[in-house]
Amino acid sequence: MSGNTGSYIASCLFVLLAHVGMLINVFINGDYNSASQVFLLAGCVVALDIGYFVAMLFFKQSSYTIDFLLILILNMSTIFQACFGKVEFDKDTIKHFVTCIVALVACRCGYLLCRNHKWLQQQRKYFYIGIGILMILILTLTGSRAMWISIGSFSLQPSEFIKPLFILACATSITEQQNRHKVLGFYVVYENLALLGLTAAICLLQWWCRDLGSLPTFMGIFVCGFLLRICYPKAKFSKKKLIAAASALLAVAFVGFKFAPAYVQDRLHADIWNDINGNGYQQSQALIGIANGGWFGKGPGHGDLCNVFAHENDIVFATISEEWGLMFALMTIFAILILISIPLITPPRSYYHATMAAGVGAAFTVQMALNIFGSCNLIPFTGVTIPFISSGGSSMMISGFMAGMLVACQSPTMKMPAQHTHSPIHKRRQTA
Amino acid sequence: MSSLNLILCAVAAAALDICILVLLYSAYHERSTSNKRWNRITSFMELADNVNVYPLGCDEILIGRHASADIRLPDMSVSRYHAILSVSNGIWTITDMGSTSGILINGTPVRQAQLIPNDIISLGNRRLIFRQRRDINVR
Repeated sequence: MSGNTGSYIASCLFVLLAHVGMLINVFINGDYNSASQVFLLAGCVVALDIGYFVAMLFFKQSSYTIDFLLILILNMSTIFQACFGKVEFDKDTIKHFVTCIVALVACRCGYLLCRNHKWLQQQRKYFYIGIGILMILILTLTGSRAMWISIGSFSLQPSEFIKPLFILACATSITEQQNRHKVLGFYVVYENLALLGLTAAICLLQWWCRDLGSLPTFMGIFVCGFLLRICYPKAKFSKKKLIAAASALLAVAFVGFKFAPAYVQDRLHADIWNDINGNGYQQSQALIGIANGGWFGKGPGHGDLCNVFAHENDIVFATISEEWGLMFALMTIFAILILISIPLITPPRSYYHATMAAGVGAAFTVQMALNIFGSCNLIPFTGVTIPFISSGGSSMMISGFMAGMLVACQSPTMKMPAQHTHSPIHKRRQTA
Repeated sequence: MSSLNLILCAVAAAALDICILVLLYSAYHERSTSNKRWNRITSFMELADNVNVYPLGCDEILIGRHASADIRLPDMSVSRYHAILSVSNGIWTITDMGSTSGILINGTPVRQAQLIPNDIISLGNRRLIFRQRRDINVR
């Protein structure tokens, strides 16, 4: 730990307090058969809290806030998932708890891999290679109209793994903006062309395998990177460029909606209350659940949405609202928003990390918006997960990794890998 | 809904609220640590001319005439993107970005050079001094 011992201890205590407050609510208000289930849940949550607090001490960082927010949200999600339908520490809860641990490990990996941006910039070809390999895997192993690769009892969603690589590719291209080349009378940056081609390829692939829910997330990352790129190095927007970019985006959206597949058209034009047992079933049940829960919820384990398909991921916001209340559900979302807003409090010191943080923020924000607005019938239902809250191994692991990227932006290493000089500013070496 | 349920929900929500507030406060507190760390990385340096002082707040700083440059020098003798300052291991390096008038360090033309305190950097007609940051409390 580097400094701030007082705030570290206070953060530990208050994260524990928040979890204990939730667990007391579960114990007194919850619907359970045996109190041992609640104690088991409490033991696991507190043990993971303390374990992570201790593990963090082995990493010398200048900021730990994102880590504390991550463990707060992950253990909240474990408590939520254990309470859906009935409070029990069953197979599904154990699976979710394990994926939370995987997410924490992925966060550490993300931090260690992304903290040195100069090293990362040297590895940029591997990002493109990695994305290429994942795209080939999707093409060959998932088959058309599918988005999962099944390995025994596990299933992986390879498009999730593309997200952090795509963010890294976006961030790498930002520092190349001064390397312009004149081609056919136009100044172009090769990295931008490569990224544009990559984005088009990803969009076509997502279209092909019908994973249209992830498409806005990729577009969000690209648009965020694009905006930062056209105003590199300072946030000074060119009105002409912005209008052109917005027009292009609207045109793409219009074409997308116009030529969307039939099942997407059904969802776009569905009236959920007239088709309550068909296309509108999940959304209508979600809205009824939110209304039934009110501000303070029906109590942990007392919800009825557990009988609806995908209650633990696609409509998880409504399930939490029903059992814990709309206020608690909104506060959970607020906690995630705080997590992605931390780079605004302590801005990253390099363009690379700033772009990376913006990309992660865009991905999480788009995912949350799609899930929450989709389950509230404000936009068509997409089935995208809320980061850290929805169950799902691939999503949790990648969300954890991307949280690690945010941690890296807060505690970066500013050293060149080849240089080992530690005496600052004494000698001059010139290259004429 | 029973009043107990309501109170417990409110208590759990309040605990979560307080926790988020404490973490936000902690983030602000850690900001000063981060600034100190950054100052060590940059060796407390800054750029200055006769009128302005330019803090070096990022590991790559673009100097030029263009409005989007980090340090903007509105002078026709300075190129739009003239030079870039970068820091690594506490050492600042200036690199020419293909400017028309080039870079002079203490009168010597260079394309890339490591800077030492009190170097005079000439970019076209503009002169900047690379110096140790002055403590505003010291008079």
